[in-house]
Amino acid sequence: MSTAEKTIRELNALEGAPVLVGRPGDRALTDELLEPVLGKTRKGFVLLVLALLGGVGFWTISLLTTLFVGIGAWGNNIPVAWAWDITNFVWWIGIGHAGTLISAILLLFQQKWRTSINRFAEAMTLFAVAMAGVYPLIHLGRPWFFWWLFPYPSTLSVWPNFKSALPWDVFAISTYATVSFLFWYLGLIPDLATVRDAAKSRARRIVYGILSFGWRGSARHWRHYRIGYLLLAGLSTPLVLSVHTIVSFDFAISQLPGWHTTIFPPYFVAGAIFSGFAMVLTLMIPARRLLGYQRVVTERHLDNMAKVMLATGLMVTYGYMMEWFMAWYSGSPLEAFAFLNRLLGPYRPIFLTQMFCNVVAPQILWIPAMRRNEVVLFVVSILVNIGMWTERFVIIAVSLSRDFVPSSWGMYYPTWVDMGLYFGSICVFLLLFVLFLRFLPSIPLFEVKELRRELEHRGPGGTYPGSEES
Amino acid sequence: MKAYVLGEFDREEPLYAAARALRARGSANLDIHSPYPLHEADEALGLKRSTVPAVALIGGLTGAITGYLLQWYTVGFDWPLNVGGRPPHSAPAFIPVTFELGVLFAALSIFFGLLGGYFGFPRLHHPVFEVEAFRSASIDGLWLSAEVEGGQAEAVAHELRGLGARQVSIVPEATP
Repeated sequence: MSTAEKTIRELNALEGAPVLVGRPGDRALTDELLEPVLGKTRKGFVLLVLALLGGVGFWTISLLTTLFVGIGAWGNNIPVAWAWDITNFVWWIGIGHAGTLISAILLLFQQKWRTSINRFAEAMTLFAVAMAGVYPLIHLGRPWFFWWLFPYPSTLSVWPNFKSALPWDVFAISTYATVSFLFWYLGLIPDLATVRDAAKSRARRIVYGILSFGWRGSARHWRHYRIGYLLLAGLSTPLVLSVHTIVSFDFAISQLPGWHTTIFPPYFVAGAIFSGFAMVLTLMIPARRLLGYQRVVTERHLDNMAKVMLATGLMVTYGYMMEWFMAWYSGSPLEAFAFLNRLLGPYRPIFLTQMFCNVVAPQILWIPAMRRNEVVLFVVSILVNIGMWTERFVIIAVSLSRDFVPSSWGMYYPTWVDMGLYFGSICVFLLLFVLFLRFLPSIPLFEVKELRRELEHRGPGGTYPGSEES
Repeated sequence: MKAYVLGEFDREEPLYAAARALRARGSANLDIHSPYPLHEADEALGLKRSTVPAVALIGGLTGAITGYLLQWYTVGFDWPLNVGGRPPHSAPAFIPVTFELGVLFAALSIFFGLLGGYFGFPRLHHPVFEVEAFRSASIDGLWLSAEVEGGQAEAVAHELRGLGARQVSIVPEATP
């Protein structure tokens, strides 16, 4: 870049970095973005898969121990009947929310920068929801009777209690998982057809041919497809807000000090998006380097994701302040004690970690240069992931450990099975994600081509109809 | 006996012009194939508004009604549950499941409606796939396909060349 160009770029502060670097042709773009799928297997990929399989083994052993021994293998007790399992459940479900936010809400708002990262984020959603779903199931104690959760005519004549938040959860999570999958797969179909047509080997052509159901890019199909895709986005938008709201009801409609608060639904949704964007950044920063996606995932994307993270981080901070305010303003000594216990009680280090990771660390993102610095962003994203996990632990386990009567208080300590179920699930999640990057087109090809066409059609000084600044 | 005539174009404008020209003759069942949606193609082919929103609405309403009736029947009527003295049929508590099932049914009807109903999928074989060069239709090619009577195929192919197609192929004896 010449000095003159540099100066002009710096002057035009509103334009910023582009969402697509260069204007390659459609074929060049296809070849470039399908390289991870159609190229040779890399040694690093094999090593990574093997390493993750080790973690999957740890997870499997912990899962089998839970099934054969029972919940007693965990550190849960009375009063702390919900601990790491539900913490992990809420953490994973929250992470899933960023995928739907990027793919659905930003689509409705016509944000062009969502285009190249939406598939990636949706896949993350799917795998995160899959990980989340495991915890409530194994927490049933007898997970082989999981179908008791659904309303079916049994000989007991008893139905699920639909006035409780837990059956709502069953419907919310299963609907969310199903709709996320349908949305993701519908977006994949044209790109699977592209892989089928770009592949050289017969086996790939057959496999991707079957997966794409025979898509032929027909205009008669595209017109229904566009509307259908948009409608699914429209449906996913209230859905994603409802899911974490319902998850927060599990706590908010109980009477436990620290749980019984009306701020929970919006505060949980903001926290979910906060942690989800952190996870997208954690995954995207290494992936764009390793797979050579810098052309389509630019500084602009990182910058925007960092801004969303900062904004939702501030909402979460507001939620914390409101919780403390209500603890005092409610006049309930039990409520006030629950919060003072977080700060001064035995779990103080975890609470301070939460405050540092979620409130202090993201503030560095006010500085524009930091939002474009991959190392800083990566570190902040990891801190936020940790911070949001500790937040759920503080809400769930710390509130339970010291509730009403001091004689019924009790401490919670995790066992190795708890740790295996948590750290193992991260490995399962990463393994699924690495396999996704290797075998499926992780950047939406047809949408990037459409974006390129739109950007190209903007004449000098003029704008393409229906599009704002890129 | 039907035949398919396929023509590949370099740019969009001649593609739309060719579609309009062939449509004006009214002889062919036309289609445009492209790697990404072309908004102008609907107009060039004279396609009407999509009816997918109606399908989604019917699916969503069916789901929501099912959800509400399910809850009313199970805990309000068949086995009235007294929880904390609240009435067995308490509408506010039924909202979340009603909403979730509405969204679920709407999404399922959009997905399966599109694939099975509107697209006729899975359909792994189609006459257009007979042409090896048609692979570009999902990568960078803009194609016009016309389903015509076998006897007219040569004439339509000639016309497509005249309208600016880069390459034209005929797939004889197409089985629909």
